[in-house]
Amino acid sequence: MSQFDMEQCAQLRKQIFITGYKGGMAHLASCYSCLEIIYTLYRKGVLRYDPKDPAWKDRDRFILSKGHGALALYTVLCEAGLLAEGELETYLQPGSHIGGEPYRREASCIEATTGSLGHGLSMAAGMALGQKLDGTDAKTYVLLGDGECQEGSVWEAAMTASSLSLDNLVAILDANELQKTRRVDEILKVVAWQEKWEAFGWTVRHVDGHDTEQLKQVLTEAPNAGKPTIVIAHTVKGKGVPLMENNPIWHFRLPNKKEREKFLQALQITDEELG
Amino acid sequence: MNSAFIGALMELAEKDTRVLYLTADSGEGGLDKVFRMNFADRSYDLGIAEQNMVAAAAGLACTGKIPFVFTAAPFLVYRAFEFIRNDICMQNLNVKLIGSGSGISVGSLGPTHHTTEDAAVLRSLPNLVILSPATPKQAAECVELAYRHTGPVYIRIGMNKEKEFFGDGYKMELSKNDVVRSGTDAVFYVTGSILEEATEAAERLSEEGIELEVVNVGTIKPFETDSVIQNAGRFKNFFTLEEHNITGGLASMIAEIIARNGLSVRLCPIGLEDTFAKGYGTQKSVRKENALDAESVYKRIKEALA
Repeated sequence: MSQFDMEQCAQLRKQIFITGYKGGMAHLASCYSCLEIIYTLYRKGVLRYDPKDPAWKDRDRFILSKGHGALALYTVLCEAGLLAEGELETYLQPGSHIGGEPYRREASCIEATTGSLGHGLSMAAGMALGQKLDGTDAKTYVLLGDGECQEGSVWEAAMTASSLSLDNLVAILDANELQKTRRVDEILKVVAWQEKWEAFGWTVRHVDGHDTEQLKQVLTEAPNAGKPTIVIAHTVKGKGVPLMENNPIWHFRLPNKKEREKFLQALQITDEELG
Repeated sequence: MNSAFIGALMELAEKDTRVLYLTADSGEGGLDKVFRMNFADRSYDLGIAEQNMVAAAAGLACTGKIPFVFTAAPFLVYRAFEFIRNDICMQNLNVKLIGSGSGISVGSLGPTHHTTEDAAVLRSLPNLVILSPATPKQAAECVELAYRHTGPVYIRIGMNKEKEFFGDGYKMELSKNDVVRSGTDAVFYVTGSILEEATEAAERLSEEGIELEVVNVGTIKPFETDSVIQNAGRFKNFFTLEEHNITGGLASMIAEIIARNGLSVRLCPIGLEDTFAKGYGTQKSVRKENALDAESVYKRIKEALA
């Protein structure tokens, strides 16, 4: 991972914290888990889109199925010129159009309203089919959580995507191994993502979900003809703030006064920046 | 009504390549075979997975397609409800949902296969148009109306050989009821194929000098509110009939209009009285078992007007 990308992601982490903290609510740990993935998609030439024409018919599409990573998405969209500068400051403020979960807005390439888990992959399969019917080479990407894969609809969609030979569909599994209250493997006796997805007819690839170079490589790799691809991105929930990393208590909370210092230190945020 | 639906959809598919047909292992009796033969790349059986099908339809609509999603009404509405809410209605996408075998048309299989609360739950969803044809001709018209309306539409159709009440030149209008029989003593709002029981009851009452005005409600939402307000000036007694729970459906719709407009009329709802339909058999026999047949309806109205 280049120095440049590391600095960019560090800056985005700061921005996410500042926005979330000022807004009074954010799924920070989830945002930090998937930040490099979303950054790579939009900022390292994986997704094909045009900020001047966001509704471009032949664009690639991205759905954040684990909608609680919304703040990571908005922050990257802002960098990508798809969200107006200044809109981040409206996060969770009265009258705001950006909240804790994404709401579909074509003008910003927010392709789907998500928040209820287990919807994104089905919608993505529909979009990928639509792209194929249009004869374009556009692709659809969708980011799922590993806890989200407990929703049965994910597996309905998995069956559909391989049955329809949607090789223009790329799912990314944010495999941080934690869900809201505990570890995924404390709830599931059999996790075995690779075997499960392969059994459903998908090509399975693995990647370090915080390494943007590796991510770029795997996300731009040609698919196996006729098969959808899932990239299992091994991530750390809360990445970048040692106090938060790998601890499920941080799924949905902000630091208290005492903890705040540790966050500011880890993210190199000054009191002035936090306002 | 199923055949009328697929016929109308074929006509649309001929003229608009955006029209797609999606189903979840439905298409009873080879219903969709001809469609599949003619439009192989626009017909998708997504398997027994209704919620996925609904969300996939939403995704297709995002790419400009017009998916007509057809499957057994109870599984479409109840299993996939949250997907209809979040993916279609909340995002206001151009998806058409067709619930087949609605009401108690699948009488032989019992209440798991009945759809007697669909209007109630779906009418609470913003952006959704709800159509409820009574006859094959109306079902075909509903397909055309749904196509012309940009946005989510649900059509609840029957799957038996429903009686036809409308002539060749019949055109259905959105949010416009059809008066199928004029009367002076009371007004009788009816939705769905149970219209045949309603008209039979009305004929019997007519023989006894009681003249009902029978109004067929083809559009449940948005409802033709003005019709109720105007009829409140003509009639003291309102009756409703639906193959549906009286809670939340047609009766509730009209009760809300009456209350909101301060209309001084009496409403007598006929339908399932906060219960699941009992019994097994043909649609006709299950109607009878649940006092929704012409004879029972006739008695209820006669009693109420006595």
